[in-house]
Amino acid sequence: MKKPDRNRRLALLTHLALIALVVVLAFPVYYALVTSTLSFREAYQYPPKLLPGGEFWHNIHEAWVRAKFARLFFNSTVISLSVALVKIILSLLAAFAYTHFRFRGAGLLFALSMITQMLPLPVRILPTYQLMADFHWINTYYALTVPFFASTTGILLFRQFFLTVPRELSDAARVDGAGPMRYFWQILVPLSRTNIAALFVIEFIFMWSQYLWPLIVTNTADMRVVQIGLKMLIASEQIAPEWNVIMAGTVIAMVPPLLVLVLLRKSFAQGIAMQSEK
Amino acid sequence: MIEERFPGHPILPYLLVLPSLLVIFVFLIVPFAESVWGSFFVSSFFGSKTVFVGLSNYLELFTSPDYLHSVVVTLLFSSFVVLVGLSASLGIAMLLNQKIGGLGIYQIALVWTYSISPAVAGTIWALLFAPATGLVPWLVSLVAPGYTLNWMTNGPLALFVVSLAATWKMLGYNIVFFLAGLQNIPDELTDAARVDGAGPWLTFRYITLPMLSPTTTFLLFMNMLYAFFQVFGLIDIMTQGGPGDATNLLVYNLYRDAFIHLDSGRANAQSVIIFIVIALAAMLQLRAATRKAVYAR
Amino acid sequence: MKKGIRIGLAALLALTLFGTALAKKVEITWWHAMSGSRLKVVEAIVNEFNETHPNIKLNALYTGKYAETLTKYVAAYRTGTAPNLVQVYEVGTQTMLDSGAIVPVYKIPGMLGQKWDWAQYVIPITNYYSTNGNLWSMPFNSSTAMLYYNKDLFKKAGLDPNKPPRTWKEVEEYGKKLIASGAVKHALSFGWPGWIFEQMFAYHNQLFADHDNGRNGRAQKVLFNGPFGQMVLDTWARLAKEGVFLYGGPEYSANTAFVSGQIAMLIQSTSSLAGIEKGANFKVGTTFLPRFEGYPRGNSVIGGGSLWVTKGQSKEELAAVWEFLKFLAREDTAVQWHKGTGYFPTVNNAVQELLNEGWFSKDQNYLTAFLQILSGRRDTPAATGVRLGPFVQIREIERAAIEKAVSGAATPKQALDEAAAKANQLLAQYNKLH
Repeated sequence: MKKPDRNRRLALLTHLALIALVVVLAFPVYYALVTSTLSFREAYQYPPKLLPGGEFWHNIHEAWVRAKFARLFFNSTVISLSVALVKIILSLLAAFAYTHFRFRGAGLLFALSMITQMLPLPVRILPTYQLMADFHWINTYYALTVPFFASTTGILLFRQFFLTVPRELSDAARVDGAGPMRYFWQILVPLSRTNIAALFVIEFIFMWSQYLWPLIVTNTADMRVVQIGLKMLIASEQIAPEWNVIMAGTVIAMVPPLLVLVLLRKSFAQGIAMQSEK
Repeated sequence: MIEERFPGHPILPYLLVLPSLLVIFVFLIVPFAESVWGSFFVSSFFGSKTVFVGLSNYLELFTSPDYLHSVVVTLLFSSFVVLVGLSASLGIAMLLNQKIGGLGIYQIALVWTYSISPAVAGTIWALLFAPATGLVPWLVSLVAPGYTLNWMTNGPLALFVVSLAATWKMLGYNIVFFLAGLQNIPDELTDAARVDGAGPWLTFRYITLPMLSPTTTFLLFMNMLYAFFQVFGLIDIMTQGGPGDATNLLVYNLYRDAFIHLDSGRANAQSVIIFIVIALAAMLQLRAATRKAVYAR
Repeated sequence: MKKGIRIGLAALLALTLFGTALAKKVEITWWHAMSGSRLKVVEAIVNEFNETHPNIKLNALYTGKYAETLTKYVAAYRTGTAPNLVQVYEVGTQTMLDSGAIVPVYKIPGMLGQKWDWAQYVIPITNYYSTNGNLWSMPFNSSTAMLYYNKDLFKKAGLDPNKPPRTWKEVEEYGKKLIASGAVKHALSFGWPGWIFEQMFAYHNQLFADHDNGRNGRAQKVLFNGPFGQMVLDTWARLAKEGVFLYGGPEYSANTAFVSGQIAMLIQSTSSLAGIEKGANFKVGTTFLPRFEGYPRGNSVIGGGSLWVTKGQSKEELAAVWEFLKFLAREDTAVQWHKGTGYFPTVNNAVQELLNEGWFSKDQNYLTAFLQILSGRRDTPAATGVRLGPFVQIREIERAAIEKAVSGAATPKQALDEAAAKANQLLAQYNKLH
């Protein structure tokens, strides 16, 4: 059946609007990308240049080597990956307990886990920092990762999903003589692939973006993360910021989370959709 | 409602929740309690001397014009991020929710800003608005010759620019959730409304919006968390609270008092105040979510 | 024969032990806030120190800006993991004095059974960090403020490029001429408003706070909202209204405007000289800070930072730290530091060496700052600069007041009175604790 003309016009308008939106929203990043390809002088030209230059790899190299982004990149990767993975595992275990067992105090403990959402870093920042100092974890991977290992989002997400898993599955497992943990690892976890991927995207991006915490718990260049590296680049110059190198730094900073989001976008969207179906 | 699916394991569930709870207790709950406790003291920079002062830190904050100014700035900033952010994202999500080709590509092309960190967003927008060299001041100078748009010396402008940058970064996130929420609205409802002769505005007001309310309340809360806390990196990179405290959000003021002024009592008091605000918002959201959810069914 | 072998073995054993004792390095850590090009000079100096002192390993770590470094130091100290040596900004002096965490440097030679000549250091610098004539921290990176100006723009406006303004009145006059000639839209700019405000007080021998500027017991009240302070801020506000003065933000942003020729005069730290000369494509001139006529003469204030030694170190570590501090006082090290960063050399020998080799005649601009502090008073607390406990916060309060007055949001008197009230409250709280 052919679409009537009015619908066609509407579709065309929608396309145009969407394309315009994509361009407008992406423009700041485009401008940043262009600046990352310019030389120091070119970046300060007036009127500003809007077409790419030829210094991209030079600037990337400056950021990577001179500004030590190589090490920062490594640190960010280590902490984002490890926290995302540990958070997922811990959330899976906890959600499993809350949905497949009845035990005394479950309600209270569950409520306690939910409270974490109301305790973001700033409401406890000084004592947590002091704790890191007391543990001698300052300027180590421990301080950057362990305090993040618990996640309300994860527990909620998996709990919701586990509740929809039919009882028959666990019954069948029990009949086969499998204990709960075997059931967990061999049946439940594989079943949760989509949610795991969605949570991975959320947690990886969350950890990769961390700024305030790494700012205060790291002391030296070898433990810092990419986000702080950007700040150091901008703040280090007494005269004029090297925008071209700084933008190259932002390119380096943008790639991993973007990659994670793009590669796992289907699972991410599905996971969100599942959560919205209350 | 929870069924015992694996009877005969009295200890296992406790072991399963133990790691999470341990982390939560040691790194979240105990430090928060210490924040509360510490807010009743004043101590020297090196911690060698502490004096109990009761509620004096709180009194000082509430009578301090600088702190109240911070509150106002935070309110303005978050209102902008929430109102502009949610409206724009909803509009875009509704556009995306049409049955047209290339949807997948559009989706990713509009959602990807979610992966950008606040610090990166701040860096990019700092470049855009850099007074002597950025694109936007140049554009403005074309329209108003001789005028240099300098957000480093113009407080309201600086607040506007950081609000814009923060909202821009959050659009992707909001769009994802709105889209999911929209796609969950059964077609029968919107079709029935159309059959009944309701125009797009009425459909939107009486079907779409109410059906979206769980998503909306969720996003309201998440955007509020974002505007209160996660934008720290953006502020630190762009303005450091300036010019002249124009962008001195509550969280930034807290950072300054804690780590630059080394005033732990005052900082802890601010932590507690922020917690009370967030807790209230969380409870409101919870109540709205459960109430509306029942209604939606 | 057997006896010989035994003696030989014993000797070998003794030598080995002796050797390992020698080879055992004392490791010490130094946290500092020198970034960018200054970091390179620090690294060069540290490398040379390590090479010439094989039994010491000095780890110099850049731990962030001054504020961050101090915070981390405090946290580390509280848990017993503080570095041996730390660089703290000048506004942290009172904090460090009250910390109970440090060993005053004047005591160190005695503790190690050594003697040291304290007179070899440049006096206005040591005055800043001394109490009752004793030096508590080691001067390291000291600078002061001076007036930079664009000689080419001066010429363009019909002004003599070798006759920069000496008084604020002349700044105003010249500024108006510069603007009228179309050379610039605004004539003067500066950042670090709090610091420059304090400079004006010391420069004219006016007390900024009571108790002899906080140097004779802890300050209880600030005095900056008195007639002198109002006069200074009145002048700045008027200059701003006339368009002569353009406020340059809280830190270094005014430098860009100067280097790109958008303004003709800049009041800034002497440590910016190297960067400014490098980035400018015009002739850069420098001169003393402008004076307010009719007021007494004082001196410009030392800014920057100094090095503090942590308490509770082992004797080996303390000796190693002291070796490094002695190394810094060497003529060639001090000259290297000055040439690489523009900070003052801290020892008189180095100043003389620089004079002798004609460094200052190669570029007169490096001499300006020196002459300014060496020709000023060094005998009054007002001229030495103020010392306050909650100094960091008070600087921010000053900044807010100056920004308000300059932008016309409040009258100078209102802004200063408000600022003084806040500052006094902070001082009261600080004093209650100590």
